[in-house]
Amino acid sequence: MGVITDNLPGVLEPLPGGSVLVTAVDQLINWSRSNSLWPLTFGTSCCAIEMMMATGAARHDMARFGAEVARPSPRQADLLVIAGTIVKRMAPRLRTLYEQMAEPRYVMATGSCAICGGPFMYHSYTTIRGADEIIPVDVYVPGCPPRPEAFFYGLLTLQKMIREGESIRHPGERRRPVLAALPEGMTLDDIRKEMQDLLSHDANVNMTDAAAEGAHYSAELKDF
Amino acid sequence: MSVHVSTLQARITGESTASSPLSTEEYFVNMGPQHPSTHGVLRLVLRLDGETVREVVPVLGYIHRGIEKMGEHGNYRQFVHLVDRMDYLSALANNWAVTMVVEKAAKMETNDRIQAIRTLVCELQRIQSHQLWWGVFGMDLGGFTPFFYGLRDREQICDIFEKTIGARLTMNYIQPGGVMFDIHPDFVKDVKAFLTYFKSKMPEYDALMTENVIIQERLRGIGKLSAERAIALGATGPVLRASGVAHDLRKSEPYGLYSQVDFDVPVGTVGDCWDRYWVRMEEMRQSVRIVEQLIDNIPEGKTFLVKPAAKIKVPAGVHYSHVETARGVLGVLLVSNGKDAPYRIHCRTPNFNNLWCIGEMATGGRIGDLVAMLSSIDIVVPDIDR
Ligand code: SF4
Repeated sequence: MGVITDNLPGVLEPLPGGSVLVTAVDQLINWSRSNSLWPLTFGTSCCAIEMMMATGAARHDMARFGAEVARPSPRQADLLVIAGTIVKRMAPRLRTLYEQMAEPRYVMATGSCAICGGPFMYHSYTTIRGADEIIPVDVYVPGCPPRPEAFFYGLLTLQKMIREGESIRHPGERRRPVLAALPEGMTLDDIRKEMQDLLSHDANVNMTDAAAEGAHYSAELKDF
Repeated sequence: MSVHVSTLQARITGESTASSPLSTEEYFVNMGPQHPSTHGVLRLVLRLDGETVREVVPVLGYIHRGIEKMGEHGNYRQFVHLVDRMDYLSALANNWAVTMVVEKAAKMETNDRIQAIRTLVCELQRIQSHQLWWGVFGMDLGGFTPFFYGLRDREQICDIFEKTIGARLTMNYIQPGGVMFDIHPDFVKDVKAFLTYFKSKMPEYDALMTENVIIQERLRGIGKLSAERAIALGATGPVLRASGVAHDLRKSEPYGLYSQVDFDVPVGTVGDCWDRYWVRMEEMRQSVRIVEQLIDNIPEGKTFLVKPAAKIKVPAGVHYSHVETARGVLGVLLVSNGKDAPYRIHCRTPNFNNLWCIGEMATGGRIGDLVAMLSSIDIVVPDIDR
């Protein structure tokens, strides 16, 4: 085999039709998917200021997590951040937006409104009590509005889910939705430090390690 | 639908178009509710003839949350946090509007410290709101840099608020009877540091946008709104002042400590997009002046004058009062039947009236200018729908 097939983290697998598939590329695909989420610019109310604006701008800078390419068209986006209250009149539009997005698509519900109706849970005659009544949600981020740090915590959770989730080898495998609430006793500085560590760790790919991991993986598969 | 007949030549020369051999048809375009430049979920139905806008009709209700109705189910202090979510960029001014009407009606006492703190935080938030508008306005015109600059400086005020109030956006700070917490020991120091910082950044804003020839050429002469029409449509705030009407509640009916500070009300001349831009830039400077005058003279005293659990009873009748938010006049009408919950509450929000000016501004203009006009009004959609 050539240089590429020896060093690339992957394995050639014969399929019934006679074709071959480089399956460990799965992981690579999931890794790149998780680091290049393109959010849809969708915000209905107050949470949009924190979720779409403050996180995108100077101090918090969503670009560090590869999710800064906000797209106005759902056809180009793969992350729907539901930032704000959804009312009955908007609900069909939200469903349409979701259906217009191409697979694989991910949904984050940020803010109490998108989770359960938030402050408008009682006595409001228009609010939808939670966006998950309309579309499936992957990650919930609580808060009213969540801090940008809390949003990033949710984003990192989603990235983890994508990396471990559905792949070519395990098609159709979706994780159950998770609540990305900040753990008890965690301070902002802890989160900031964790994000720093993650970034320095994630942003540098050690090619030798990756190749070794891939070789190990293919050896395991051969034993099958 | 009437069919408007014209040719390009006729439109350029302004001749009568009725007899032209080529016919164009008017058509409709839906803008929103999912559109990056409608600042939320506003829908505009546009009637266009080629590139010319013939009519703009806003369609509302995509974020109607029933805040006024919800107000009838809680007591007065429970209504305050709901108005945070109306015009979330002026949450403190909204709090103040409700607080003021309750305090006036129930004849509650306040002291100078409370009023000074309220004035200070409201002016800081006016700066914050205009910073965000400035950034988004730049983005709507096609430049991304103002967005970064505006939000970078906005974060500084967020930090100040976070220390004192504990929130970045939805404050729930100004309450009937005082303010929720006393100011943080660092408040004065932080605000002074911010003022020094922000004053050094204003020239940067000017160099980037105000003195930019492209921006000036882009904004001058489009979206004109005459003073008569602005008054007739009920526009308030910078939109009204840009049309040349020097109406500012902080001057005409001073509340808080506004009567003790010295500031100017910037007014425009022709009421085009450039005037609205300029008025807001000037307002930021005036707010800096107000904060500067007050920051060293915060009187001593208590900051909350009623017991936290006290039931506030408002005498039966109709009560009204209003404040000047970053976008205009927010009036709160309160109908009370003497109980501790409002019988009916209505908010006269600035954005609702300001939005209807878009029809006046855009009709006859080009569709390419529409986003600039909409952005120059600076709307917050949940405030329109409530
Ligand atoms: S969760 Fe709170 S901040 Fe977010 S949209 Fe709802 S009311 Fe606004």
